[in-house]
Amino acid sequence: MAHRVLRDVEADGWERSDFPIICESCLGDNPYIRMTKENYGAECKICTRPFTVFMWRPGRDARYKKTEICQTCSKLKNVCQVCVLDLEYGLPVQVRDTALSISSHDSIPKSDVNREYFAEEHDRRARAGLDYESSYGKVRPNDTLLKLQRTTPYYQRNRAHICSFYIRGECTRGAECPYRHEMPVTGELSQQNIKDRYYGINDPVALKLLNKAGDMPALEPPDDESIRTLYVGGLDARISEQDLRDEFYSHGEIESIKMVVQKACAFVTYTTREGAEKAAAELSNKLVVKGLRLKLMWGRPQAAKLDGETGLSAAHSGLLPRAVISHQQYQDVPPPGTSTSQDQQLPPHMQYFNIPPPPPQYERTFYPSMDPQRMGAAIPNQEGGGSGGSTENKGDPGLQYAAYPPPPLPPHGGDQYYQQYYAPPPYGYMQPPPEQSYQQYPSTVPPTAPTDEQA
Amino acid sequence: MPKVKTNRVKYPEGWELIEPTLRELQGKMREAENDPHDGKRKCEALWPIFKIAHQKSRYIYDLYYRRKEISKELFEFCLDQGYADRNIIAKWKKPGYERLCCLRCIQPRDHNFQTTCVCRVPKHLREEKVIECVHCGCKGCASGD
Repeated sequence: MAHRVLRDVEADGWERSDFPIICESCLGDNPYIRMTKENYGAECKICTRPFTVFMWRPGRDARYKKTEICQTCSKLKNVCQVCVLDLEYGLPVQVRDTALSISSHDSIPKSDVNREYFAEEHDRRARAGLDYESSYGKVRPNDTLLKLQRTTPYYQRNRAHICSFYIRGECTRGAECPYRHEMPVTGELSQQNIKDRYYGINDPVALKLLNKAGDMPALEPPDDESIRTLYVGGLDARISEQDLRDEFYSHGEIESIKMVVQKACAFVTYTTREGAEKAAAELSNKLVVKGLRLKLMWGRPQAAKLDGETGLSAAHSGLLPRAVISHQQYQDVPPPGTSTSQDQQLPPHMQYFNIPPPPPQYERTFYPSMDPQRMGAAIPNQEGGGSGGSTENKGDPGLQYAAYPPPPLPPHGGDQYYQQYYAPPPYGYMQPPPEQSYQQYPSTVPPTAPTDEQA
Repeated sequence: MPKVKTNRVKYPEGWELIEPTLRELQGKMREAENDPHDGKRKCEALWPIFKIAHQKSRYIYDLYYRRKEISKELFEFCLDQGYADRNIIAKWKKPGYERLCCLRCIQPRDHNFQTTCVCRVPKHLREEKVIECVHCGCKGCASGD
């Protein structure tokens, strides 16, 4: 080794660096970490050339981590120097290359001399300013990657290793032992090695992930054509309704968004079935809002639950008002086709038979641009003074979905529509001026009733 | 011609009182030195030596500074004869170092980030509740613990 010391280390291809190339998981959750640096501290586990080793402890429950492969190797594959997972997606090389159909197998030689020569040559070019041609980071992430990638750092990876003495039942250190006292998980995932991970061949983790990506089912649109609602699960406090709206509105016109904070879910209703189908197809398995992966499913009608509760009487009461309804209203504004047909025949299989027909919302759809609040106008709270006739339209779609615990509804009975609870719209749209001609709600109530409602 | 004894040690007064304990500790030290280190970790090998050296120094220190049962002459004699380490005793006299385990643990140059050993950290400030320091196997020697 003595002759090595006398020579120029750079010419020998020894790598010296000032900062490691590492992913967020390997860096740990603590923003204040202390790192040690050792020049030429170890040989790269891929190209076997000496490189600068950094070592740090990523968080309080973590083991010490150090860089394992040199920066040249790391840059060639765009991977973390520690975990050898892709820097952008946090996925194994094999998964990324398969998904993006990059074939980098042949470009990096695997025989000793050739590999060293290649790395040195690459270094030289990089130093001369001719950066290597890299498409990493420029390719648009494709669907598989979006489905598979993590949205948050995975700190489990930094835990201490399993105590090998404990496995043999010989660990005498007890609580003082810094290693984990657990039995190792066996299985095909335990057969990992760094070279396969780096070159992207026979990587058990990658195979598992790719299988998983293949197995992820597409969302099947339900047979019931009247379902236009998508269920979004896994929300948390960070996500506001506006975030959901921003995410969903590009697929079709949104009728309403209901957020249920207690259940951490939301229901997005589109005005058209096509919009809902498009959103379901394009967002399923890869809906990520504010770094949070959300679950997307089709909404289910509430029918089953209400059937059990109210049975025939509800159906009857649902029908009754429509029979009594003042005719001129329907003449002015014909309701949706379903409701008229429902009037006459009342098909028993109809899922929404006990639900008031959807009010003619299409007549006054509110576009975001129609909302003066968007431009900063202050709107007094409409709760007390608002008209029951307009709020009812907003509050209505919530009734259709069983998973949504409605605001305290009055008991469904014969007088179901007598005293309808009208939830104020949870979002900030300005309510349209009350127009009595649009008061479509089938109501047996004499004209004096609305004052009762509001009181 | 009779042999002239040049290395005759003159024992100060009170030596016979502390001699048995010191002999016992020396015997233990001899035992620890000859102990095989099979199955021990690399860093564990010297822990018993550090421990007994600490015990000896601590014995002399207590007798002179705490219980005041031995004379200054005998104390100096013990230090000169190597029964106690005068450097660690010098540290024990300072506030904050009353329970110091060994001198390596307060040597910042021996540590990665120019700090002292983890055993010098008070227990309530420590993340790990159970520790054994790498240098001497100390389980915590901060003054407040």
